Amino acid sequence: MLLAYSSQRVAYPYFLVALLLFLLQVVVGTWLALSYAVTMPQWLVDILPFSTTRAIHTNLLVLWLLLGFMGTTYFMIPEETEREIFSPLLAYLQLTLLVGTGVTAIVGFLLGWTKGKPLLEIPFPLDYLVVAGALIFLFNVGMTVIQAKQWTLIQGSLFGGLVFLAVMYLFNLPFYANLSIDWYYWWWVIHLWVEGAWELVAAALTAWILIKITNVPRELVEKWLYVELGLFLFTGIAGTGHHYYWLGAPKYWLWVGGFFSALEPLPILLMVLDAWHYIRNRRAGLNGRLIFTLAVGMSILHFVGAGFWGFAHTLPQINYYTHGSQVTVAHGHLAFFGAYVLLNIMSFYYAMPRLEGLAEFDERRGTLAFWWMSITMMLMTLAFSVAGVLQTYVERVMGLGYMTAQAQMRFWFAILVVLGLSLLGGVILTVVDLLTLRPALAGAKKA
Amino acid sequence: MTNKLAKLIFYLGTLISLVLFLALTFDTHRQIQTLTHADQLSEQVVAGKRVWHKYNCNDCHTILGFGSYYGPDMTKVYWRRGSEGIKAVIRSPEKFTTWRKMPRLPLTDKELEDLVAFLQWTSEIDTQGWPPQDQKLRGAPGRAVTLGVSPGAVLFQEKGCFACHRLYGTGGQQGPELTHVGSRLSYETIEKVLTDPRSTNPQATMPPPMVSHEERDRLAAFLAGMK
Repeated sequence: MLLAYSSQRVAYPYFLVALLLFLLQVVVGTWLALSYAVTMPQWLVDILPFSTTRAIHTNLLVLWLLLGFMGTTYFMIPEETEREIFSPLLAYLQLTLLVGTGVTAIVGFLLGWTKGKPLLEIPFPLDYLVVAGALIFLFNVGMTVIQAKQWTLIQGSLFGGLVFLAVMYLFNLPFYANLSIDWYYWWWVIHLWVEGAWELVAAALTAWILIKITNVPRELVEKWLYVELGLFLFTGIAGTGHHYYWLGAPKYWLWVGGFFSALEPLPILLMVLDAWHYIRNRRAGLNGRLIFTLAVGMSILHFVGAGFWGFAHTLPQINYYTHGSQVTVAHGHLAFFGAYVLLNIMSFYYAMPRLEGLAEFDERRGTLAFWWMSITMMLMTLAFSVAGVLQTYVERVMGLGYMTAQAQMRFWFAILVVLGLSLLGGVILTVVDLLTLRPALAGAKKA
Repeated sequence: MTNKLAKLIFYLGTLISLVLFLALTFDTHRQIQTLTHADQLSEQVVAGKRVWHKYNCNDCHTILGFGSYYGPDMTKVYWRRGSEGIKAVIRSPEKFTTWRKMPRLPLTDKELEDLVAFLQWTSEIDTQGWPPQDQKLRGAPGRAVTLGVSPGAVLFQEKGCFACHRLYGTGGQQGPELTHVGSRLSYETIEKVLTDPRSTNPQATMPPPMVSHEERDRLAAFLAGMK
């Protein structure tokens, strides 16, 4: 019996929807690259402006990543608490509500219905439905954990991160008359999500999967988890200040933001070393290599994308020239991919075979898809970076016009269209593989 | 590393960062009133901010450097184009864009006025000198006025001429440099161009400036004096 608890099955539809939305997100992303590279006719721009497709691209990202986290949580929490989920029915209801809200929001964007705030475009009253969905989730997971009466740090980090995530979203609900204050609290949602709440969730899910696949002692993992979480929150909370340099806030944010965010790579580096150490010293033989490849690949790209590319433009002296340019785009793509996309894919590759009742599965397609997507994303990051450096130099340092700089960057957007299509290929392979896992070939087991 | 030390790092690290962050947030709220000239946040400016959201401008343009990167940053657009310049672009974006297009948005006249008020207010936020590329525009009309040529210099800024034309190296690249235009064109020709740009050059892409007769004469006098 591969599934210890039957209610773990609620994870499957979450994964299914998440994967389909991921696919759609990359299709729309490639369209965005095309919009940068070629001249769209005016009539098309009038009915389908870049702003609409960009809103769809980013909202799909947030929606599918969150659905992935939620599904993985539902898969993990019964094993961690040693009891069934409080209410599988509520879990299905929550999925229906969130997907329904998401689809309505996207159709709404196409019709011009929007809150008009980047990444948080979902308008009233749909934003309240998102809150309702999050509350159902927290209630369901919370009740399961409470009834189990055996708290572990992994549960605490996961549940704490999820509550943190939901609370921060509330800062998106009011209308702020002052533009500077509006952006000040926008970052409480966005920054404290990706460099706070989501990191707690990610650290918990990663720690749990690492324990499962390596059999290293829980005490060791939890001890280092405390240190990681402490460093994440120490650098991440005050590190929000690196978004406050130029928005009309006091000058001391240049010091506070610069100092704390410069330390932000440290906890990620610790995660890389931890994952590496646990995998090298693993005790039980979990067959297969893909899950380990994903765990190491994830932590390394998390470090390169969030840590290295983030550090590269976080100091105020550099950020003065790079702020709001394609340099940010380069960082954003690799950071999200390394930190959260690969985490979800690793979680799917851990949970899906068990949901399908496969002790071992043919890993060839999944391994190819991992390398394909990761190499493509790395090349995309480099292309965005070249465009970003050109923009920084031509527009900000030389002071030539915005479009003069864009003309210099155009070639790199054409490259990005090609890379976008390549990424799409890798994503299709991942999705198809996860949905049609096959038993391992007899001869290939130990290969 | 002992378990105790690990927990200490977690609790202490989180607490220090959180307390510092909340304390500075409290102080920021006090200072931001001055830094953003919050006393000038009129009803019209707030209405303009709602227009900004309504048409999802921020998913193509950055403002304060945040948002999408498909179009130029809007923080100091008021310095670059002035109120008439902003209105002209929004009314007929197809006349101003070349290979990257902006949608034609159905703003009402009132929405347009409100949006301009919002962008004017935004341009005065103290952004510690960001963005670098717009700093040279600060005081550009002032410089032209102190040259003592003509009060038409003020109009040159307000009507958004700097969006496409340069004076003493300041301004846009689309139109010709006008620093010595008075030595090339007569007062009468300049006046003709200002009335209808295509009257002297049928290929002209310049939109007819939104000016009264009196303003046109003052602008022409100013430009004719630029020798």
